[in-house]
Amino acid sequence: MEVPALELRGITKRFPGGVVANDGVDFDLRRGEIHALLGENGAGKSTLMNVLYGLYRPDAGEMRVDGHRVEITTPSQAIDLGIGMVHQHFMLVPVMTVAENIVLANEPRRGALFDARAASARVRELSERYGLAVDPDATVEDITVGMQQRVEILRALYRGARILVLDEPTAVLTAQEARELFEILESLKADGAAIVFISHKLGEVLEIADRITVLRRGRKVDTVPAEGATEASLARLMVGRDVLMQVEKSPATAAEPMLEVRDLHVRDDRGLEAVAGVSLEVRAGEIVALAGVDGNGQAELVDAITGLRRVESGQVLVGGRDLTGAGARETVRSGVSHIAEDRQRRGLVLGFTLAENLALREYNTPRLSRRGWLSTKRMARRAAALLREYDVRGGEPATLASALSGGNQQKCVVAREIAADPRVLIAAQPTRGLDVGAIEFVHRRLVAERDAGRAILLVSLELEEVRALADRILVVYEGRIAGEFAPDASEEELGLAMTGGRREAA
Amino acid sequence: MSTAVATARPTRTLSARQAGWAGIALGAVAWFIALPPALVRTPAPSLVLAAAAVGGGAWALRGGERRLGWGAIAAGVAGAAGAVAATHSGVGHLRDVVTWSALVAATLRYATPLTFGALGGIVCERSGVINIALEGMMLMGAFFGIFGADLTGSWELGLLVAMIAGGALALVHAFFAITLRADQIVSGTGLNLLALGVTGYVFLDHYGDQGTPDDIPRVPDVSLPGVKSIPFVGDAVGHTNLLTWIALLGVLALWVYLFRTPSGLRLRSVGESPRAAATVGIGVLRTRYLAVVASGVLAALGGAYLSIAFLGSFNQGMTAGRGFIALAAVIFGNWRPGGALAATLLFGFSSALAQRLPTFSESSAVLFQALPYVLTLIAVAGVIGRSRPPAAAGRPYVPE
Amino acid sequence: MSGAAPAPDDLEGASAGTPAARLAAYVRGGGVVVPVLTAVLAFLAGGLVILVTGHDPFSTYKAIFDGSGLNWLLPWTSSADRPAAALNLQQTLLLTTPLILVGLAVAFAFRCGLFNIGGNGQYLVGVYASVWVGSSFAGMGKLPHILLAVLAGALAGAAWAAIAGVLKATVGAHEVITTIMLNYIALWIGAYLFQLGGPLQSDAQRSVPVSNDVVAGARLPVFWGDPQLQGLHVGIFVSLAALVVFWLVMNRSTIGYEVRAVGLNPEAARYGGMSVARNYALVMAVSGGFAGLAGAMDILGWEFRIATNDINTATQIGFYGIAVALLGRSTALGTGAAALLFGALLSGTSQRNLDPSIFEPELAANLTLIIQGLVILLVSADVIVLGLLRQGRRVVRRSDRGSPTHEVAR
Repeated sequence: MEVPALELRGITKRFPGGVVANDGVDFDLRRGEIHALLGENGAGKSTLMNVLYGLYRPDAGEMRVDGHRVEITTPSQAIDLGIGMVHQHFMLVPVMTVAENIVLANEPRRGALFDARAASARVRELSERYGLAVDPDATVEDITVGMQQRVEILRALYRGARILVLDEPTAVLTAQEARELFEILESLKADGAAIVFISHKLGEVLEIADRITVLRRGRKVDTVPAEGATEASLARLMVGRDVLMQVEKSPATAAEPMLEVRDLHVRDDRGLEAVAGVSLEVRAGEIVALAGVDGNGQAELVDAITGLRRVESGQVLVGGRDLTGAGARETVRSGVSHIAEDRQRRGLVLGFTLAENLALREYNTPRLSRRGWLSTKRMARRAAALLREYDVRGGEPATLASALSGGNQQKCVVAREIAADPRVLIAAQPTRGLDVGAIEFVHRRLVAERDAGRAILLVSLELEEVRALADRILVVYEGRIAGEFAPDASEEELGLAMTGGRREAA
Repeated sequence: MSTAVATARPTRTLSARQAGWAGIALGAVAWFIALPPALVRTPAPSLVLAAAAVGGGAWALRGGERRLGWGAIAAGVAGAAGAVAATHSGVGHLRDVVTWSALVAATLRYATPLTFGALGGIVCERSGVINIALEGMMLMGAFFGIFGADLTGSWELGLLVAMIAGGALALVHAFFAITLRADQIVSGTGLNLLALGVTGYVFLDHYGDQGTPDDIPRVPDVSLPGVKSIPFVGDAVGHTNLLTWIALLGVLALWVYLFRTPSGLRLRSVGESPRAAATVGIGVLRTRYLAVVASGVLAALGGAYLSIAFLGSFNQGMTAGRGFIALAAVIFGNWRPGGALAATLLFGFSSALAQRLPTFSESSAVLFQALPYVLTLIAVAGVIGRSRPPAAAGRPYVPE
Repeated sequence: MSGAAPAPDDLEGASAGTPAARLAAYVRGGGVVVPVLTAVLAFLAGGLVILVTGHDPFSTYKAIFDGSGLNWLLPWTSSADRPAAALNLQQTLLLTTPLILVGLAVAFAFRCGLFNIGGNGQYLVGVYASVWVGSSFAGMGKLPHILLAVLAGALAGAAWAAIAGVLKATVGAHEVITTIMLNYIALWIGAYLFQLGGPLQSDAQRSVPVSNDVVAGARLPVFWGDPQLQGLHVGIFVSLAALVVFWLVMNRSTIGYEVRAVGLNPEAARYGGMSVARNYALVMAVSGGFAGLAGAMDILGWEFRIATNDINTATQIGFYGIAVALLGRSTALGTGAAALLFGALLSGTSQRNLDPSIFEPELAANLTLIIQGLVILLVSADVIVLGLLRQGRRVVRRSDRGSPTHEVAR
């Protein structure tokens, strides 16, 4: 049997804090093959590839390139071994030309000078050879994202890469661009390149890959040939059969609609349409979950509802009142609370005390201030009460937020948002990075608030959480609602809808 | 950003660019013909030309060339105003003020230290380190240049000492900005005060109240025998200091370095996207260290020009904000050597004119001195198209 | 896309984690140990400079200390020395007055994550406005005239800084660049106003480029010392009151709460419903108001007139303000203490106060600059010092719990 281009044996990578990102993973890659690495967010795909690229040192395991055992400790070593990486966030210099980016640090020279013409010619030649049409003299920031990705691929090829790793390459592409990428990968494969294709989208993995390795929670589940696999079989492997989270709750008694979103269109930071016509409704007394893989427009949707991002078209109504374009302050005043996705970046001011952080919503209401002057006494008293009620440990009102653990920081955010007595509560990944106890606390609290008659929109990437909490599940895919499901829908069904698979019936 | 926009740009803007440049030129001509030696004594022709300049500017604006368009309109308005003013003043006065060859020579004199400073600023900021300490580095060059020249009796060694002193201050900046990841603006501010104190201290301690002696060896002027006899050119550049020529050559050299050598490409990549540069194996920290030190050396030459080429003496704080004008030139020139040279020449010209204007009106001459700062303020405000700094300027780089 | 101003959204997002914001956050921590250490280090370095240039650092510092008049506070100072010490202390406090205010100007902006390097310009326009008001309207009542002149100075400074604030809020122009430019524009405007034949040049002395004198009715009353010998005017109380107001607004008002939130985490502030852009504009204006007030205090308290050649020499005060605010950790108490330190240093090294037989005052003035430069430089990097301190503390705390490997920071 031919020697694999790349062989990983028993790769184990532990992070400080006891997280095992890779646990004895085996992986092999042949020449002229596209091998997909499939798994949910956090399954350990990127960690494995960062080990390969010399960005992380593994705690155990060995790597072989062309049958020779290698140690890779820096990206330069990886490059020298013919390994090229196309990062999810492109490593390009936006103001420079395509050719300059590709030849950077390996420039063709004429005398002491940089030979721009030769660079251009080499890039043109390379792009023709592999069918990657790019204009060598275009400026990178002026070309489309799809083109920028080609530049990354070309840079790897320019440096002689025979093993190409693409980290979620279609995440930033349009459907048409993804199609073009697949053609490029096919031609590279025909040329004998070995390609690792990281993804969590079932459809495209089935389409492009020869073999598929599925990772789950840092372990390799199986490696299967693409031929014969189905979206359903892959979804089962990917999601697994873990013990379900149990949250006790009674059936919802949904009342009048509190939050209504009508045909909403929103653009992301790059100006691309991230939310493409979403309509949804959350009634008082129910939890509606927005399930989906990260980056399908959830963040932009939440920002638009909470007034932090401009709405292109469509409407947002709270309690029947039109709040489209009202801005963050007015939205807050109208009774919308928001447990932000990133508590350190958005949810908290880490340099503030807990009392100050807990006042962030209501500092300018009569509850905490009068005629522009804060009542520190009331702030402290209220903070003390909230810290007790929400069981925040390790801090008093005067403690800096940065001194708390992640779970307790999150409890503070939850406490503040619920204490504002909102009609609509938007919880964006409220349990990300929390330990089991804190997760349970947040879950119970959300259900309690539902029972108290609040309308709750839960945005989560965790299917278990979605199924445990939601009264209705909306799956979002590429900025649209791909379907509505009951909470007892199978994970396979949900997984399929989340990854763009075809859905039989709702 | 779509490809449609990118591809549509060249065909349309080519003519808009031309219209803009033509407008600027027409505005200048409108003024020029009212001055010696042409001396058209009626404003009408100038006004026609100025109107054409404004028209060119408007055309450029429609084509999307904001900076050029507004530039042309400003040139038109200024040209008209200048011409009207000139036709209302006496011919004798005009001849006193507007001696073009003398104005060119003075412009070069004022522009030289600014150009060195701006070159230093460009090198430093292109690598991603903000250099607000240019003022201090120039001051180090000014004092230690003359100190060195005095002690060694040689202007060459004086220049060397100046460069070492400027480089040493820059090394401190580099250590704080790059290694300690200090706030670059704060540390730069501190260095400016430090340089002011150190030069003032050593100056007083060594020279006391007498000041620097009169017999300091000076950087010589370059006499171009062939050029000297040419009527206009001879008076303008026939007697120009060696350092002025070096500064002008430096502009060209820096442009070649930044945009035509592999090393320059790497330097720019470090200032734009250090992480991208690091992933292809470029040493980000090393590149920045070298760039910062080089900027100190260049700025010090500008300071040394003031002391041992132009004046032949030193007084405390003699750079008097020239480092900040150099910084302004960097911004105004959009971090490009050619642009910065244009800015320093413009600033130098405004100083040269301000020197001669008092013949007319004492008061307006002084306000002329504020022109560089006003123009830079307008430039950073983005009214005439925004200046765009290197993307990573001011951000410390943390290696993985 | 070329040349278009970015949407306010982009602007505010991009400002998250600005160097100034980071510094503002760091500068607040660390307690009193780091600033004291910083000052001590700077003075030690200054002593070294004195030593290597062949002077005695101890007697020099002693002479500067005596020159500052701080020995007046020591109980063992002999009654024979007291009158001189009192005069010197009056000088020190006279200089401390504007230093507190320009320090607050920098500190206020810092707390919002902005770096106001334009104290010079704001101080100068404050001087121009109050010298103009103070030298005009001769018939006015004393109190209203003083109030009007003070207000004019503060408002002029506020308006001047607001240019930078508005540019920051609307088009994102970096406040460091704009305030530097505004410094020099203010300087040349002054040169224009008071030069021979300038619009505000003195009516009495047509051959001197100087302003009119502030009329007697608009001068701040002197409450300690001889008004003829630059006694201490009531401006010091204005500065002390400003410290209290600064503390109250910062720590007890919703405005201060917003300013601090924006300074520490603009993204979270926006999420909390605050307008980051509005805060930037407002904070720059208030900041400039403090600097303008400093100018008014000097002009109405003891200078009474401004000459064009003062305008060049006066231009370090904004940088002194940076040193004061940084060393004072942008807090009210710290700013007051740092202003007193630098006020003492400035007056202790002045021609008038330093004993020239021990150390030449002009040399000492440069020593002051060196010390201030070093203070700023060291503060810029105490991010590192603080980081080390914090890390040390975390390790200690962790080992207290007895599980050293449990929660290692990533």
